[in-house]
Amino acid sequence: MKNEKNRLLEKLLQIFSNTKIGEIMTAPVIVVTPETSIKQVKNIMKIKKISGLPVVEKGLNLVGIISIEDIINVLEKGNLEDKVLKWMTEDVKALNEEKTLSEFMEFSQKHKYGRYPVINSENRVIGIITKYDVISWLFEKLGTIYVHDKRRKNILDREEYMSRLTGEILDNKKISFSFEIDYHDIQKIGIGATKLKSFLKRKGIDEQLVRKVSIATYEAEANVVIHSESYGQISCWDFEDSIRLLIKDYGKGIENVELAMQEGFSTASENVRAQGFGAGMGLPNMKRFSDKMTIISEVGKGVIIEMLFYK
Amino acid sequence: MRLSELIKEKEFEKVFIFDDSVEINNGYIGDLLSEIMRNAPANSVWITHQTHPNIIAVASIVEANTIVIPKGFDFENETIEKAKENNVNLLKSKKDIFETSGLIYTLLNEE
Repeated sequence: MKNEKNRLLEKLLQIFSNTKIGEIMTAPVIVVTPETSIKQVKNIMKIKKISGLPVVEKGLNLVGIISIEDIINVLEKGNLEDKVLKWMTEDVKALNEEKTLSEFMEFSQKHKYGRYPVINSENRVIGIITKYDVISWLFEKLGTIYVHDKRRKNILDREEYMSRLTGEILDNKKISFSFEIDYHDIQKIGIGATKLKSFLKRKGIDEQLVRKVSIATYEAEANVVIHSESYGQISCWDFEDSIRLLIKDYGKGIENVELAMQEGFSTASENVRAQGFGAGMGLPNMKRFSDKMTIISEVGKGVIIEMLFYK
Repeated sequence: MRLSELIKEKEFEKVFIFDDSVEINNGYIGDLLSEIMRNAPANSVWITHQTHPNIIAVASIVEANTIVIPKGFDFENETIEKAKENNVNLLKSKKDIFETSGLIYTLLNEE
């Protein structure tokens, strides 16, 4: 049985063996300098829940590694005020980012360390890799493959979405209102939001609530048209205790969500701004008018905005 | 105040009137659409320099029943079409935006 498992793992690794470790590693990595105190290192490890840190000098040049084993040594026979320099392992085994997964497996088999700093061609530390990184990366890959096979079925059944706000399943078959956003024409911004507004009004939903939902939808719709360069969808679920909204696009994504959430920040063109858009209040307005909101975005893949409004 | 009382003043040109009996309780001025949505009250008149069709969606969402533009500006044709579909009244003032708001503000406060 054990042999079979190993064979499976080997087989899987074969498929991915040419993957570069730069793709798998954890980056950016937390580093310390030789002058850092052991006490600080201990605190970083505790707070960040990590067990080893590359030690670097100016320019992120790797000079050693300090691990939890070294800290134990300090506790036994040293002083927490000591500098890293005194206790770090200087003979550090590092890997170049261009090395492949199979080279990493061989390397870690040989050296038996838990973690290896990853460096670039200029000897700068750019990441760290552990077996755990490999395992979680593999799982992610397998997950993608699995989804890929399932995807066709999902589209036939119409997909469902798991709420990032509540964990509930938002079932496409139970959508109360949906609208396809046409991104080719800036003049069409707001059609979806106004349609949703009349739909909710007809359902007899509280006017103040309808107003909040429509404003937030208008903003999200405007963002799809102005920024995404992709068509989009508005989906609305009318639940007993809440209204749920999902605005999805498949466009270029938001590079820096934190920045985009800042009031006044906008990447809209002059032309669009002249029409009164691009005030940098879109996302802040969505946050203000909804009770809960989350943004899921990946550059090049699109944006999903999920909002919840309590009744 | 009803819209009919506002248009009794000779300072406004009726571009499109859906219903002149609508009640105007308040007003708001601005050209930034997101800011309008954040702050403009319902049952209000919205005074703006924006004349493109998107203002109709904004007005419908915040329930500003009347849009007023100052002198020197014209609504786009498409905007007028959309106003008809969405029941939004459109007026063009013969004064600039400052004087227009002053006039409407005074009328509202005389109530």
